Amino acid sequence: MPGLHAHRTIAMAIALMVPASLLPAADGYSAARAREFLDRHCQQCHQGEAAQAKFRTDDLAGVESFRLHPAAWTKVAARVSNNEMPPTGASQPAPDERASFIEWVEATWRSQACAADLTPSPNRVRRLNRDEYSATVRDLFDIQIDVSEMFPIDGPGGEGFDNAAETLFISPLLAEKYVDIAKFVVDAASKEFKSRQRLFIARPAGSITEPVAARRILARFLPLAFRRPVDDSTVGEYVRLFRRARRQGLDFEPAVFFAIRSALVSPSFLFHVSAARDDPALRHYALASRLSYFLWGSMPDELLFDIAAAGRMDDPAVLERLVPRMLRDSRVLEFSTRFTEQWLRTRELEGDRGPDPALFPEYAQDAELRGDIKLQPVFFFREVLRENWSLLHYLDSDGTVLTTPLINHLGIPLKKKQDGKNPNWMELPEGSVRGGLLGMPAVAAVTSHAHRTSPVLRGVWVLDSLLGTPPPPPPPDVPDLEDPSATAPSGSVRELLVAHSASTACASCHQRIDPLGFALERFDVLGRWREAGEGIQLDSSGQLPDGTEFDGPTELKGLLLDRKKLFLRNIAKRMLGYALGRGLTSADSCAVETIVEGVERDGYESWSLVRQVVLSAPFLNTS
Amino acid sequence: MKNPRHSRVSRRTALRGAGVALGLPWLEAMARPRSASRPVRPPVRMAALYMPNGAYPETWTPASAGREFEFTPSLEPIRGIRSQVTVLSNLWNEQAKDGDGHYVKEASILTCSRIRKTQGADLRNGISFDQVAANARGHLTPLPSLELGVSPVAVGNDAVVGYTRVYGSHISWATPTTPLARELNPRAVYERMFRAANGTSGTQAKLDSLLLDRVLKDAGKLRRGLGTADRIRLDEYLASMRSIEQRVERSAAPARNSWKPRAKLDQRLAPTDRPSGHLEHVRLMLDMIAIAFQTDTTRVASFMFGNAVSNVSFRFLEGVTSGHHEVSHHANNEEKLREYQIINRWHVEQFGYLLERLAAMREGEASVLDNSMVLFASALADGQKHDPHKLPILLGGRGGGRVDAGQHLVYAEDHPLADLYVSMLDAFGSPVERFADSKGPLQGLLHA
Repeated sequence: MPGLHAHRTIAMAIALMVPASLLPAADGYSAARAREFLDRHCQQCHQGEAAQAKFRTDDLAGVESFRLHPAAWTKVAARVSNNEMPPTGASQPAPDERASFIEWVEATWRSQACAADLTPSPNRVRRLNRDEYSATVRDLFDIQIDVSEMFPIDGPGGEGFDNAAETLFISPLLAEKYVDIAKFVVDAASKEFKSRQRLFIARPAGSITEPVAARRILARFLPLAFRRPVDDSTVGEYVRLFRRARRQGLDFEPAVFFAIRSALVSPSFLFHVSAARDDPALRHYALASRLSYFLWGSMPDELLFDIAAAGRMDDPAVLERLVPRMLRDSRVLEFSTRFTEQWLRTRELEGDRGPDPALFPEYAQDAELRGDIKLQPVFFFREVLRENWSLLHYLDSDGTVLTTPLINHLGIPLKKKQDGKNPNWMELPEGSVRGGLLGMPAVAAVTSHAHRTSPVLRGVWVLDSLLGTPPPPPPPDVPDLEDPSATAPSGSVRELLVAHSASTACASCHQRIDPLGFALERFDVLGRWREAGEGIQLDSSGQLPDGTEFDGPTELKGLLLDRKKLFLRNIAKRMLGYALGRGLTSADSCAVETIVEGVERDGYESWSLVRQVVLSAPFLNTS
Repeated sequence: MKNPRHSRVSRRTALRGAGVALGLPWLEAMARPRSASRPVRPPVRMAALYMPNGAYPETWTPASAGREFEFTPSLEPIRGIRSQVTVLSNLWNEQAKDGDGHYVKEASILTCSRIRKTQGADLRNGISFDQVAANARGHLTPLPSLELGVSPVAVGNDAVVGYTRVYGSHISWATPTTPLARELNPRAVYERMFRAANGTSGTQAKLDSLLLDRVLKDAGKLRRGLGTADRIRLDEYLASMRSIEQRVERSAAPARNSWKPRAKLDQRLAPTDRPSGHLEHVRLMLDMIAIAFQTDTTRVASFMFGNAVSNVSFRFLEGVTSGHHEVSHHANNEEKLREYQIINRWHVEQFGYLLERLAAMREGEASVLDNSMVLFASALADGQKHDPHKLPILLGGRGGGRVDAGQHLVYAEDHPLADLYVSMLDAFGSPVERFADSKGPLQGLLHA
C-alpha cells in the first residue's frame, strides 16, 4: 500500500504512548520484564526440542522477535489472556502481572504489525444473514416486504456482529426456510405491478418464442440475483427449469417465476463469494458486493455494477468519490441500524434485558417513546456519518438527536421550539449531560438490570463498547459483588463495591470498572437524571487507579476524550470486522493501525474512517 | 414475532391462551389419533429440556435414594406423576469444569465435550447426543429432530469472558462446528410439522425436486471453485438441502415411504405466533413437542427454557423481584434463595406439564409418555458456584418400557453425565458403545 512505510514509525511511536490509566498499569514495562515473565511461567515446559505441544518460547525475546515469530506471540497473548496458560495446577502470575504482560505484548504487537508484513486473513464465503436477505429481495424485486423475521435469528460472531462468516451456519431448518420464503417472495412479486414490469422485459409474441423470452428475462435477472456475471450455460440451465415447469402444466409467467424462485434458493444467491479462484475477473464484483453490503446492507446498484464491469472497484480514486455518495444515500440507514445496535448492544432492549414493564410502565406502555429511545443512537450515528462530523461526537457532543417524546422524557429545556415530530439534530443547552452516547437513555437502559441501575454493568460497557478494553472475567466462586443484601443489608451498592474493591482478588479489575459506572449513577434505568434523596445516595465521583479524579458524566466524557485513541482503535476494529463480515486476527493488526493513523490525520472525520476501512488491505483482499 | 407470511391470515387468535391451563382438551383436538390401537410396537421418543442458571441443591435433591424418596420443595410439582419420574443425583460434566461460569457448561450439556474458547473464528464443540439419535433414526420420520426455544440468540460477543454468545444459545449440535438454529415461534413450528407430515405430491412435488436438483448442482459447481476452509459452509448447505430432497422424494414415492402419522395435524388449529408472556410461550413450545411425539412427526426434540446467563424476568411469579441470572447469584441470602427456589420450581412445573400432556395421550395400552424419555437438565448445580458437579437432572417417561422409572438414583460422586446419554440412546434404539467421555451405560436406569 502506498505510503505505508512512512507511517510505520509514527504507528510505533503512537502505539507506545497510549494513556494507560484505564488499563492495567504497564508503566515502565519492558521487553526484559516480558522475557522474565516467560522465563518464570512458560519456559519450564515450552523449551527446546522437548517443548510441550512442540511450542517453544525460547526465541521470544525483544521487540524484533515479533517480526520473526508473529504466530508464536499471537498464541502466547491469547493463551495467557484467556487464563488458559499457565495451566491449572501450575503457579499462577498475579492478576496485575498477567495484565501488564498482555498489555505490553499487544502494544508491541501493534507497533510491529506492519513491519511483520503479514498477509491479511482471508475473507471467507458466508451466507446472507436474515437482514441482508430481506433487503436484497426488496431491492431485487422492488417490493416493500420485510421477510427478515421469518428466519431464525443469526448468532453473533467476529467482532460481535451477526454478519460474521464464522457463525453464519446453515441447518436443515434454515434450508427449509430458504425454500419456503423464496416461494413467499416470488408470490408477492408476481402480484406487484412494479416487480412484474421490472422482471418481464420480454414476452412471447411473433418471432419471439416462449423460451427466447424466458431466456431474455433470466439473462437479465440472474446476474442481478447472483451479483456477478452469469455465463450462458448457467442461464441455459435456468431456461431448462422454465421449460420443465411448462411441461408440468404451468403457464408462461408462473413457469418463469418458478425459475426465479429456484434462483433464490441457489447458493449463488444465498452466499457472498469473496472470490472464485477460477475467475479473477470476478474480483471487482466481489468488491462491489462487499462495499454495498457494508454501507447499504443490500445488493449493489447499477452504478456499482458498472464500476465492477469496468474493473475499477479497487481504484482508490474511484472509491474516494464513491464512499461519500454511498454515505449520503438513504440506504445508509440499514448500516447505521445494524452496526449501532450491535456495537452498543441496544438491540437487546427488545429482548428480555429491557426495563421491567411493571416498574417502568411509562416505558412499557408508550410504544412511541420506546421506539425513539431505541432509535436515538441509530439516528445519531447516521447524522454524524452523513454530515462527516468528527467521530468524537460519540464521546461528547453539543447537540443530539431528539424527538418530542424524548425531550419530554428527559426534561430537556430547549432554547426555541423545534420540530420534534421527526428525529432531528438539536443543539443542547450549555452544560447539558445529553451529549454523546453516554447521554442517551438507550445506553442507560441497556447497561442496567431490568429493575435497577448497575455501576458495574455501566463500567464494563464503557471499557468494552467505547474503549475496546474489556476487563477479564471474574474469578469463579465470587458472590455477586453488587448484591446489597449479600453482606451488609444496610449498605449501598457503592459502599459494597468499595468494600470489595479493597480485597485483592477483586481490586485490580473493579478499581478500573466501578468508578466509570459511579460517574453515570445519576442516570436512572431509563436515562433520566435523578436527584439524590429517598434513601438513594448518588455520589458520582470516582478515582482511577492512577489517581485521576472525576465526578459525573461530563467529567467522565472529558476523561474518555483524553483517551480518544483507544476509542478510535475500538471503533476502527469493529467497523472493519463488520465490513469484512468476520473476526479480526493479529494478521489484520497492521490494517487497523493504518486506519487509526489515517483517521487521526484527517481530524477524526467520519468519512475518513469509512474510507480507510474500504481502502484497507483486508477489505480489498479477494484471494 | 411479526411474520409477514401470517399477517394475511386472521386466524392467529383461534388458540390464544389455549393450552395454558392443564387438562384442556385442545391438544387432542389439534391432533386426533388415527386409530385406537396399532399392532406395531410404538416408537420411542426422546426430548431434552434445558433450564439455565442451575438449581439450589438444598431444595432440589431428595435426601434419600430409592423408590421411597421424599419430594423436595423444588420437585414438588411432579409428585403427582412420580411413577414416571427418575431423579438422578451426582452426575457431572467433567468437560465443563474449566473455562467460564456459563458458556462452557451450557453449550456442552448435551455434548459432554470441551468447547473451544473463541469469539467465533474457530468455534468447536462436540456432536450432541440428541443429534446422534436423529442421525440414527431421523430418516424414519418427516422431521429428523426439532430444536425449540423461547429466547432469541443473544446479541454480540461476551468480551469479558471471551466467548461468542452463540455457545450459550445452542444445546443441539449437528456437528462439532454446526449448532442447530432453534425455532422460537410456536405457529411456525406447527406449520412446519404440518408441511413435513403432509409432504407434497403431483406437480408440486415434481417442481420441488426440479428446484432442489438445480440448486444442488449450483452448489456443487460453486464448491469446486473454493478452497478447503470455504467448502465447510457449502457442505452444510448441501447436507441441509439434501435432507429436504430426501423428504420430497419419500413423500412423492409412497412405496418407499412406510411412515404414517400416528395422529393427524389440523392446520386450522395452528397456535398463536404471539404468545402473551413467558409462561404461555414456554407451554406452547412444550405443546409442540407433545404434538410432534403424538403424531410421530419427529422422535427427537430439544428445548431451551432460556439462553445461558438468561436474565428473563420472573417477576410474573409471586414473590420474585428480579431476573433469573441475578437471582441465581443468591450469595446465600435467605430472600434470594427463596426466589431462586420459586424459579426452579416453576421450571419443574413446566416439565411436569409436558409429562402430563404426554401421559394423557393414549397409545394402545400405554401412553406416549410410557414410550418417551424426557430429560430435564441444568448445566450448573448451584447458580452461585458455576459448578458442573452434582447436576440437577430428571428423566420423565419409561422409554418404551426400558426405563425403570419412579426412583431416585444416587451415583458415586462425579459420575459422568455422558453415561446417562449412552443409556438413553440404547433405550431409544440407537445404541452406541461410547458417547463423549462416557465410561459405559448408567447402572440401574434401564431394566435389566
